[in-house]
Amino acid sequence: MSDTATAHHEDGHKSLIIDNKKLLMWLFLGSDCMFFGTLISTHLIYRKINPTEIDPTVNLFSLELTSFSTFILLMSSFLMALAVSAMHKGQIKSFRRNVIGVIFFGLIFLGCQVYEFTEFVHLGLKLDTGTFGSTFYLMTGTHGVHVAIGIFWLICMYFYSYTGKMDAHESAVDVEVAGLYWHFVDIVWIIIFTVVYLIEFIGK
Amino acid sequence: MSTTVTETHETSTHYGSHVLKPERSNLGLMRPDHGKSVLIDWLTTVDHKKIGIMYGVIALFFLLVGGVEALVIRTQLAFPENDLISAQRYNQLFTMHGTTMIFLAIMPLNAAFFNFLVPLQIGARDVAFPRINSFSLWAFVAGALVINFGWFLQLLEVMGLFTASGPTAGMNDLVPSMGWFGYAPITGIEFTGAGTDFWIMGLQILGIASLSAAMNFVVTIINMRAVGMKMMRLPVFTWMTLIVSLLIVFAFPAITIALAELMFDRVFGTNFFVTAGGGQPILWQHLFWIFGHPEVYILVLPAMGIVSEVLPAFSKKPLFGYAIVVFSGAVIGFLGFAVWSHHMFTTGLGKVATAAFSLLTMAIAVPTGVKIFNWVGTLWGGRVRFSAPMIFALGFVWMFMMGGFSGIMHSSAPADAQQQDSYFVIAHFHYVAIGGIFLAVVSGIYFWLPKICGKMWKGNLSLWVAIFSTVGLNVTFFPMHFLGLLGMPRRTHTYLEGFGWETYNLVCTIGAYILAFGIFLLVVDIIRCLRSGEPAGDDPWDARTLEWTTTSPPQVYNFARNPIIPARDALWEHKHGPENRKITYEPDDGHGIHMPSQSWMPMIASLGFVPLGLGLSMMQAGVAYMGYVAIFGLLMISLGVALWALEGPGGYHLHPEEEN
Amino acid sequence: MSQADYNPLPVSPAVDHSGENEKYHVFVNLALVLAAITGVELVLVYLPFNKAFIFTVLVSLSMFKFVAVIAWFMHLIYDKLMLTLAFGTGLVIAAGTYTALLFLFSTDYVAPHEIPGIIPPGM
Repeated sequence: MSDTATAHHEDGHKSLIIDNKKLLMWLFLGSDCMFFGTLISTHLIYRKINPTEIDPTVNLFSLELTSFSTFILLMSSFLMALAVSAMHKGQIKSFRRNVIGVIFFGLIFLGCQVYEFTEFVHLGLKLDTGTFGSTFYLMTGTHGVHVAIGIFWLICMYFYSYTGKMDAHESAVDVEVAGLYWHFVDIVWIIIFTVVYLIEFIGK
Repeated sequence: MSTTVTETHETSTHYGSHVLKPERSNLGLMRPDHGKSVLIDWLTTVDHKKIGIMYGVIALFFLLVGGVEALVIRTQLAFPENDLISAQRYNQLFTMHGTTMIFLAIMPLNAAFFNFLVPLQIGARDVAFPRINSFSLWAFVAGALVINFGWFLQLLEVMGLFTASGPTAGMNDLVPSMGWFGYAPITGIEFTGAGTDFWIMGLQILGIASLSAAMNFVVTIINMRAVGMKMMRLPVFTWMTLIVSLLIVFAFPAITIALAELMFDRVFGTNFFVTAGGGQPILWQHLFWIFGHPEVYILVLPAMGIVSEVLPAFSKKPLFGYAIVVFSGAVIGFLGFAVWSHHMFTTGLGKVATAAFSLLTMAIAVPTGVKIFNWVGTLWGGRVRFSAPMIFALGFVWMFMMGGFSGIMHSSAPADAQQQDSYFVIAHFHYVAIGGIFLAVVSGIYFWLPKICGKMWKGNLSLWVAIFSTVGLNVTFFPMHFLGLLGMPRRTHTYLEGFGWETYNLVCTIGAYILAFGIFLLVVDIIRCLRSGEPAGDDPWDARTLEWTTTSPPQVYNFARNPIIPARDALWEHKHGPENRKITYEPDDGHGIHMPSQSWMPMIASLGFVPLGLGLSMMQAGVAYMGYVAIFGLLMISLGVALWALEGPGGYHLHPEEEN
Repeated sequence: MSQADYNPLPVSPAVDHSGENEKYHVFVNLALVLAAITGVELVLVYLPFNKAFIFTVLVSLSMFKFVAVIAWFMHLIYDKLMLTLAFGTGLVIAAGTYTALLFLFSTDYVAPHEIPGIIPPGM
């Protein structure tokens, strides 16, 4: 909180050491751990109880596609880190370039997911196909919704950057908060990729 | 700068916000600040004090609703084979009694205290996110509307204005009737109707309200403290608010997902809890109690915080063992996450799990016992005044302890197997809920209402409130221990003669009416205070914490200048401590006080939950076009949030001392 | 914050930006490592090793990616401890609760196999 204008607007609370928005976002992410924890554990529990219900490695999961989309999401996370860094340096052009990259990669990821879902439905895995269909679609679908919200948020920020209303401190925090959200969506996928997809293939 | 506490008050009566003109927001719309309309002022307010008052009023209303539901239940059970109400209605009543009391009465009453007191106690002008605070309030209202919508339809049906036919043919079983915990598979689509959907959507919305409020309070308490207000100088009530908020943040996602899974089961035909599709109903119990047990502490820890404020104030002593009380609260909260399965001992968890959860549950008795000893230690050797708040706080310590004892009995798995689903359990948690939480909340009302409304209590009616409610709750719930041990099951519509239950049940019902009369007297006392109370003054109880340094009621900006806190129990030290422990104030920097602008957007966004919730519920019942209503709700929420983001926070400045 | 009476400062001079340039190299290196790990994971599942070994390696690699993104991309290690506490509490509670839940759902305890007189499916 080094700039005086901001400090004044925060009503002079000198004990303010962390930005309010950042703390709020980290709390939300802590809460979201529990949120996705419930979803992923529901899936794993039903895989454990109903192991013979379906074998997703046969004619269903395509590791190549999922690895590709994982890679895409990881790279979007990298660009997001660069965008936040650029914003902290006040380089708004570099910020725009990186954010466009993030949005683009995010859309590719969503496209992969839409393709995957359509494929699975064609192959006969529907929302009401046993417990596997239920848990798989709700879990990956919730993650997809998170990605979509993130893309919408970043698109808003991208256009907002042209209004000239962005200022060095406040907007850098806003971008950083959006970035935290985006990275979290990425790490959730890291977990899902391993425990939902990869582990099914061991020994197959 | 050693301004005295009272100096700022005379100067602040004419701060003149009505001199200011409304501004346009970044969207070009007029902001609802500085208007003349009182209604618009309350609807769009971002002032934590007004939001707290609204939470309190709505919660008290639902407390009465839940109380009436309980009275009907008790009247039905007064005599064997009574047929005052049908079994179906009875199920609806106990379901809605539990749901209303927990989510619509106690939690918002706690939220009322959080909102009003926490910023005052930490020396802040508002919460960290005033508009999110407004969003939380209206989302709570939306959830309450959705969850009670079934009663409304039921009323229309009784009046002949609504029938389950034609387009609404699927709309039957309008009020939730499966118990407040909604165990699968009874929530399945083949067993219960539209009521369950209202319940699912209502709880989901209330969860969103609680989550957003809780995150707001954590940030407020960590970031908005006045200078010198270190963590270990916080009043215990604020500490408990912090712990409860963290519990909400980390416990509610479990129920959010469980409810979403249940909704998918009902609306989109998934198999999460459907046995025919391979689902396990037991999973619902686990997910529900992973949320449900922390929820128990979410309800009770604020009560402990209130009592930890009242007892020192009326004993003229600091709280005995402040640090250990705070630490015990944190330990209770943390252990609360590790004991959920003790609600499920009879489901067959396996030996290891049962033993582990049994031991962890017993462990919770330790920090709770520590707290009770500390409260007694606070009284010891103090100059105790038996004013109204103190009477109720003492009642809390005693009655809560009795609830705690039967709780320890449940922690033993073999004993629990005997008590499960019997009236013994009802006795236990009503001692905790009424003897504990309710008495503490009444204590808080007697303690802080003079600060909230600026008027002092009249006469000794409080004594009669205390007598009737304490006698009433003991007459109602103590016999239930025996009823439970005699084998009377919970949730039973009626019973036959000859089990030895008749006398006990009649006594319970008489007790319930005594308790109801006590609550009636409380309402009378509150109305008398509001109508004809004398001005309370800033510090009517000779209290200890920072909120009593403000005017009664506090100014919209709370503190004309930010206080600098030299010690724990800041006001007490200021009044009676050495010179170097007086509260000082930051110098006026001439900028004035920055106030946040009021806004319609949080209300618009949160009320979008009403069409979303009702639309999804009725879509399940097959009512035409309800999918579009749900989408409309979703659009309303998105629009509200988008406009909220784009309108800019705004704000204006007040200059209270320059007016002088 | 009202934008009207706000002086947009170009860059606040008190903020040190030399750290941002160092971070750039960290970010690039991390991105390369993350991509490489994802490739290794993809290959690993097809290799004819001991299942338990592959499982352990996969979980460790996933944990590493998880922690690395949090630590550097979300720059938690550069930030205040309070943020680590806020997030870590949620993570620890979630991990603990759901690990316990997975063990509670041991297949032996699931009802259909235990109810006497009912033949379990598939027998």
